Amino acid sequence: MSSMRFRIRFGLDRFSGLYLWAVFIIMFTIWSPLFFTSSTLHSIASGQAVAGILTIGLLIPLVAGVFDLSVGATANVSAIAVIQLQTVHHLSIPLAIVLAIGLGALIGAVNGFFVVVLKINSFIATLAMGSVLAALLTIFTNNEQPLPPVSSTWTTLTEQSVGGFQIVFLYFLVIAIIAWWALEHTPAGRYLYAIGSNSEAARLSGVAVGKWIWISLISSGAVSAIAGVAFGSLLGPSLTFGESLLLPAFAAAFLGSTQLTPGRFNVWGSVIAIYVLATGIQGFQFVTGVQWLSDMFNGVALLAAVAFAGWRYRATANRRGPHRPSANADQVPTGPSPDETTPAESPPRATLTQSPSE
Amino acid sequence: MNEPPPALSAANVGKSFGGTAALDDLSMSIAAGEVRALVGGNGSGKSTFIKVLSGYHKPEPGARILVGGSPLNTGDPASSRRVGARFVHQELGLVDDATVLDNLAVANGYPTLLGTVRGKAARRAAAATLARIGLDIDPSVKVGRLTAAEKTGVALARTLDGLDEGQIKLLTLDEPTATLPATEVRQVLQMVHTVAAQGIGVLYVTHRLDEIFQLGATVTILRNGRHVVDGSSQQLTRADLVRHLVGSELEDARDEADHTERVGSEIAFEVSHLQSGQLDDVSFSINRGEIVGISGVTGSGRESIVGTLFGRERPDSGEIRVGGRLIRGGRPGESIKHRVAFLPADRKRDSGLMDLTARENLTISSLREFWRVPLLLRRRERAETRDWFERLGIRPADGGELPLTGLSGGNQQKVLAAKWLRLHPTVLLLDEPTQGVDVAAKAEIHHQILTAASSDGAAVVVASTDIDELVAICHRILILRRGQVAAELTGTQMTIATVTEQTLISDGSGLHLMSEAKR
Repeated sequence: MSSMRFRIRFGLDRFSGLYLWAVFIIMFTIWSPLFFTSSTLHSIASGQAVAGILTIGLLIPLVAGVFDLSVGATANVSAIAVIQLQTVHHLSIPLAIVLAIGLGALIGAVNGFFVVVLKINSFIATLAMGSVLAALLTIFTNNEQPLPPVSSTWTTLTEQSVGGFQIVFLYFLVIAIIAWWALEHTPAGRYLYAIGSNSEAARLSGVAVGKWIWISLISSGAVSAIAGVAFGSLLGPSLTFGESLLLPAFAAAFLGSTQLTPGRFNVWGSVIAIYVLATGIQGFQFVTGVQWLSDMFNGVALLAAVAFAGWRYRATANRRGPHRPSANADQVPTGPSPDETTPAESPPRATLTQSPSE
Repeated sequence: MNEPPPALSAANVGKSFGGTAALDDLSMSIAAGEVRALVGGNGSGKSTFIKVLSGYHKPEPGARILVGGSPLNTGDPASSRRVGARFVHQELGLVDDATVLDNLAVANGYPTLLGTVRGKAARRAAAATLARIGLDIDPSVKVGRLTAAEKTGVALARTLDGLDEGQIKLLTLDEPTATLPATEVRQVLQMVHTVAAQGIGVLYVTHRLDEIFQLGATVTILRNGRHVVDGSSQQLTRADLVRHLVGSELEDARDEADHTERVGSEIAFEVSHLQSGQLDDVSFSINRGEIVGISGVTGSGRESIVGTLFGRERPDSGEIRVGGRLIRGGRPGESIKHRVAFLPADRKRDSGLMDLTARENLTISSLREFWRVPLLLRRRERAETRDWFERLGIRPADGGELPLTGLSGGNQQKVLAAKWLRLHPTVLLLDEPTQGVDVAAKAEIHHQILTAASSDGAAVVVASTDIDELVAICHRILILRRGQVAAELTGTQMTIATVTEQTLISDGSGLHLMSEAKR
């Protein structure tokens, strides 16, 4: 049985994204000779950096089974904040950036309050928070896009070229590396994975579930704010851009969870997913010129990734299911009955598929 | 009028899982209007038999099952319904927020006119159904406001609803009274009588021996998938039942109980006047190196006490002390810091991080040990994992990087046991530590429990429905009844027969019967 598992774990599916990527590149290169150029490489790499940073933000709570649907709105808020602080309040760039990121962390802390203390489903709490943030943004800007700062330092902050890439791509890589380190190589990351796997089991193992969920939401708020600062510099202030990145970020995170370590949200899987999707979108747009590709691609990718994860889960469950030792067949149920004391309410998990009923 | 065909006539029913026989050539017949109690310990085959009747399991070829004279197409739930077999499970499956009427109608449909519910007709039909089982409640009241016995009645009525008398041949009730207070049991038994009087054969699964006598039922006792007794409650005494339930292996298992000497006599764990959920004023203390078993029927508090002792939630009142220090409850991290370990009963729900690796499961409660800024020392984690895999014989031996779901049930449980054993706990709390694991894994886990007590001096609590297990490894067994410690058995009192007897008594009058059982 273990050999079977290994075949499945290390087979094609782990690296399917990389294979698909190669297929895209070869296909578009044959299709259009203009596709395979260093400028395409640079534009795809840098063009996805902001979406990539936002995906990392989303990923952190997702590892713990907690949704943060407010990442897009948080990015918008921080983009406007970092610009207004410079243009209206005449703060220096570094100070404006620090305050904007702090604002993102504060939004995350408020999300954490709703999810951890008031025990509101994270999906609902952050969806509502996103809406509230959009409203606040309209109030503070009178629904007018503020003017960007005039200083060229502000735009070179992200556009500065490094080896042909805009420097924002490097920011993305650095953030990805930090997130990878935190999730894979520190106890904090392990706790988040444990909570995402089974929050009650994690709690009974001594993991401070509430604290770590709170921290994950603060992190996602801060990282989303960095994404906001980045596009504020790269593209100028926008009241809506961040929210348009929410679905692509979800698509990348879920598609990423089918890569490298299937069944687990992970940083490099998500990074691969971002670029596979971007290559596909850019390539098709290159050869066809139609406008709807991005929405279609991201939507289909999200559906396919979640369907695949669900299928994989059921396949694993079924493989184990019927082979229970017979002692199980005649067990007196011993779990607490529904009306007796239940363990402390644990936040819902980010499971998007129905688990098989047994 | 002719004699009606028997409600159930089953012959040569066998069922194996992976080479182990859960049911071995079982035969049983229930006449129309007869109440037959089905009794047996864990793993005796009761549930398997019920699942065969409901069409969930397909028995081995050769089985012949007739329900009300019609052959059951085995392995087909629809056929089971068609021939008139109905089931009330322990989980009643009622919606507390909906009315009795809606609960009945959701299963069986509303009377409608052009797609609109005919409210009055629906209420009339519901009232008539409830009357058939002698349950006098208002159909428009919410189920959540009913007593436990009334809820059972609603679940029972639901199986009859919308069907004419005579369409139902066989009604199976799976431990309907397991979680009921004694005062309400009588009401359920009354309803069972009413149903049987209508010519329906009743198969009544229970753990409570008293009920068999109150029902005046015929009895089938199962052990290891065979029936060992077929008789009526008039011919059998309670002592007979107990003896048949536990069989003759009891003396062998008792020999195993003379194990290693005890470490010390200082109190390691102390519980005083604990009040929480089902538990009602529980007090006891455990010495270092002592293994204390907890036995009790479902609903006695046995299934929640171990979690409460760990501080899974804050108790309503009372104190838990470890080496004299107070555990506040509701803070598992703090309990672990006081070196209290807790292995829950439900692996999937409370204990396993099923999609994380065995290594990650093993180290989660003491990760700091492997944290050297800036990295978690995976190599050390892996070495530790290999070490524990070897120590407990966990298979596959190199399975540390497999997700926990990739291991068999027994090996999963060993990993989760190892996770706590490696912390060298001063108090080791185990809830059904060997539930659903194979014989070899069971022996290994028992060995590890004994070692933790004898060499580490851990104070151990084991709650289990497996009385053989308790008798084999414990120094002392507490019997819980209705949330209270009703008896404490030590030394020569700790026989399987006595513990079983004490566990199954549901009134307080069991002590004189104990001597009868020991006869």
